[in-house]
Amino acid sequence: VSPKGEERRRPRGLGRRIPARLRWSFLFLSFALLATVAVAVVKERRAGWRVWQERFAELEGEQTPAKGNGDAERGLRQIWLPALDRVDRCTSCHLGIADPEMARAPQPFRTHGGTWLETHRPDRFGCTTCHGGQGEATTYRGAAHERIPFWPQPMVSRELMEARCGTCHRERQPRAARWLARGRALVKVRPAWLRGWLKNPKAYLERSRMGDFRLKPEEVEALTSFLLQPHGVPALDVVDWSRADPERGGEIFRRSRCVTCHSVNGRGGTLAPELAHVGAKVTRDWLYSWIRDPRRLQPKTLMPRFRFADDEVRDLAAYLERDFSEPRGQDADDSLPEPALAPEGRHIFERRGCYSCHELEGFPTLPRIGPKLTGIGDRVLEPAPLLARGIVPSLPNWIFTKVSHPDDVLPGARMPTFGFTPDEAAAVTVALMSQRARQTPAAWTTHDPVLPPYEPQGRFGALVRRYRCLSCHRIRGTGGTLSTVLLDRIGSQLRRDYIERFVQNPIGVRVSLPVRMPHLNIAPEEARVLADYLSTVMVDDSLEVEVPRDPATVARGRELFDRHGCIGCHIAGEHGGYVGPELNGSGSRLKAGWTVAWLMDPERWKPGTLQPDYRLSRADAEALAAYTLSLPARRAKAVQ
Amino acid sequence: MSERRAPALRRTLTRLARSVFRIGWPRSRADRAAALLSSLVLHLHPSRVRARVLRPQTTLGLGLVGFYLFLVLTVTGLALMLYYVPHPDAAYRSMKDIEYATTFGRLIRNAHRWAAHGMVAIVFLHMCRVFFTGAYKRPREFNWVVGVALLLLTLALSFTGYLLPWDQLAFWAITVGTSIVAYAPVVGERLRYLLLGGHEIGQAALLRFYVLHCLVLPLAMGFLVAFHFWRVRKDGGLALPPGPSRRVLAWPHLLFRELLVLLLVLVVVNVAAIAFDAPLEEIADAARTPNPAKAPWYFLGLQELVHYGAVLGGVVVPAVMVLALLALPYVDTRPGGVGVWFARERRLANAVFGVIALAVVVLTVVGTFFRGPNWAWVWPWAP
Repeated sequence: VSPKGEERRRPRGLGRRIPARLRWSFLFLSFALLATVAVAVVKERRAGWRVWQERFAELEGEQTPAKGNGDAERGLRQIWLPALDRVDRCTSCHLGIADPEMARAPQPFRTHGGTWLETHRPDRFGCTTCHGGQGEATTYRGAAHERIPFWPQPMVSRELMEARCGTCHRERQPRAARWLARGRALVKVRPAWLRGWLKNPKAYLERSRMGDFRLKPEEVEALTSFLLQPHGVPALDVVDWSRADPERGGEIFRRSRCVTCHSVNGRGGTLAPELAHVGAKVTRDWLYSWIRDPRRLQPKTLMPRFRFADDEVRDLAAYLERDFSEPRGQDADDSLPEPALAPEGRHIFERRGCYSCHELEGFPTLPRIGPKLTGIGDRVLEPAPLLARGIVPSLPNWIFTKVSHPDDVLPGARMPTFGFTPDEAAAVTVALMSQRARQTPAAWTTHDPVLPPYEPQGRFGALVRRYRCLSCHRIRGTGGTLSTVLLDRIGSQLRRDYIERFVQNPIGVRVSLPVRMPHLNIAPEEARVLADYLSTVMVDDSLEVEVPRDPATVARGRELFDRHGCIGCHIAGEHGGYVGPELNGSGSRLKAGWTVAWLMDPERWKPGTLQPDYRLSRADAEALAAYTLSLPARRAKAVQ
Repeated sequence: MSERRAPALRRTLTRLARSVFRIGWPRSRADRAAALLSSLVLHLHPSRVRARVLRPQTTLGLGLVGFYLFLVLTVTGLALMLYYVPHPDAAYRSMKDIEYATTFGRLIRNAHRWAAHGMVAIVFLHMCRVFFTGAYKRPREFNWVVGVALLLLTLALSFTGYLLPWDQLAFWAITVGTSIVAYAPVVGERLRYLLLGGHEIGQAALLRFYVLHCLVLPLAMGFLVAFHFWRVRKDGGLALPPGPSRRVLAWPHLLFRELLVLLLVLVVVNVAAIAFDAPLEEIADAARTPNPAKAPWYFLGLQELVHYGAVLGGVVVPAVMVLALLALPYVDTRPGGVGVWFARERRLANAVFGVIALAVVVLTVVGTFFRGPNWAWVWPWAP
């Protein structure tokens, strides 16, 4: 009823009328209410994502009129990943990420760069898994494209992207993430630390990863005193050095290929400690006992027990002492420190957390001294120390500063400096940023399947332990990565007789390869055991197939061999390249079924191999295998 | 044909309306009085009120505004309940959904938040108004007591709602708030345990607060509000100074003004909800204490006092204040000064109450704006 109408009908004399002021107020407030509702509706209808969708439809209409204006596809979009506890609504605005036609479209419509969406399908991984930001949000600001209050993880900048790779790619290094790989290698702890420390690490070894604890001279003295106390080390062997022959030791050193694992002046392997000044570091008596039976001194060592005669060990130790003890710091005080300082040294050992990295018998197993790094990528930092130095207080900056200059973040920090270059510190930062508080569910991470540790038994097991095969090789997920030769199906790859010959005298088939198996002096009887076991147990039945070797097939194989230019990398006959293994006589080395499988899909058997994948059909691969395996061995010419 | 159908249709509609409203649109004076009497909602009003009741300065409409805010909160709260999930794993996510993916979700949440804060303030001001006009005196003593209960209920509703977003703000405000509870002697710790369903804020606490906030307290509020209104009427209407006063019909004069106030409240709430977003901080993290951790703003006066002495702020002052408020109408039994703002004969009482109310406001303001990390003094405009 309008006020006017009511007024007309209202009987007179029923008390005062409602004042006009109030009626106007009513009108005004009614309109005000309508207006606020209208504003709310407009605000909702003109939400950012709706506007973007309209523009995208226009853009699509311009580019491909056939598609129409795409009205049917409008609406909020989200990728729901319950297992990751993630809802990503990014695709409500980023509408063209999977549409190659949008490669030149303005953001937020542009096609996603690279081939990332093929390997990381958005419907399985969402967007924020890699990019960070607030996936639930449907506004530019809310999505945390830039840092916003109350959302701790803004979108990841380009420099830090690899940290997100590392969140899922935990063990296997993703090939494209170089900073991550570098950073991870740098935070890895190596046994060289303790030794380097004892001999003043930086002077002894440039590449030492032992941190600089900024110890005072008296602290160094006390710690040295403590560490030189007998800590339950087994007694050393007694040696008669009068007949030692260092020249012969040198021969043994070269023949045994110690540099496969050890480096000398930085050249050689990285698995074992640098040897350049080892003679100045340890006594020849210790070296003798060590080489003779490494496991007696260090039960967990990676070093194999070479089958040396005792006099060979003696000569080798003598050679190492003579040729690998270039005197550095002649004026260095070589006297034994005051034993009375040992308790003080023990105190330093405890306080500086040496036990976090180093094992010491008789020392209690305490938790690591540093705070856990799990979840550091989500940690909330204290901005004051960074602000005081004029650094933008972000978590990456905090970590970068902390690993470069611990004292800048926390004065008097116990953490050592590691002499990182800025690049190295950045790489460490990337690797640490991948340590998220919330662990990615197992199904999203890439690491090798968790198998029970492989512990071979019996005579084979004893040999594997003695020669420390698993320091370099891998069997069923257990072992080192120095060797690229996986032993799991080696019995199907190599002929039994070849295995037996090879372990006794490991001549490399690829002359270009710097890493070669050391000469362990494995005895004939032992070689027989290894060959028998490997060729009966370490096999893959799918590879054990017959391959036709008739002349027609061989001829066809030769044709394929020429067509694909195999000779560019392999030696066959008198000529060829040095990239791949020589193929002459490969028939006595390789099994045919394996060769076929290898030629058909090299990447499957050896990720990252240089062998090209020609996508050969089985018939072609069989022909090629038949030809290569038919090549006779070159006579009387050692490859080495 | 249409001429014949029209009256039939009209008759049907009239019958339908009658079945719902019992009587038709009241056109005569008697009808209007009868309309008020025969309607469930309207019969809380007397059929005639004194003209002075209609003047804004009599009550400032504060009680009515508080009631409207309660209605707004009920409606918006019910809407939010459709989306909110009271579980620590899901609560925060559901808040984000409400904010970003639900149509009008953010608006409704904003309205709920600001209306709740507004209700606390308005109810407090309403109490001040009642005191300063001496409206708690005989025969309205008990209604004052009910009012005190309503004030406490309002605080409880706001407090229980504070936890539900499950963000840092919520989690730590409730941590501080419930630790103030624990200062009570003997029963304090048990009370806190009862409230939280454990020693720490977790799933049990969230569910308890949810049930209290959405069921127990609103029901209690509804009953008490109805009782409060009924007693206003039974105790002789609003407190006015004695003397002759012209009477007018509640319909339309009172109802129209009530409608105006409703419109005003809705407009203000809408504007606030459109202009200002309710806060939502990071997800609750029991391992990371913000510094300072602050209680909801209406308890910051108490927290400020706790800063000076835990027992003082946590037990003595709130207990004394509540008891004093409850006892007030039975202690101050002098009949004078009813219905008059700041009556001359109530100078002392008004002064005392004024100072206390001012102290509450000042302490709250200090706790809200002037306290920084470690509860140290900061200037709100300092960077």
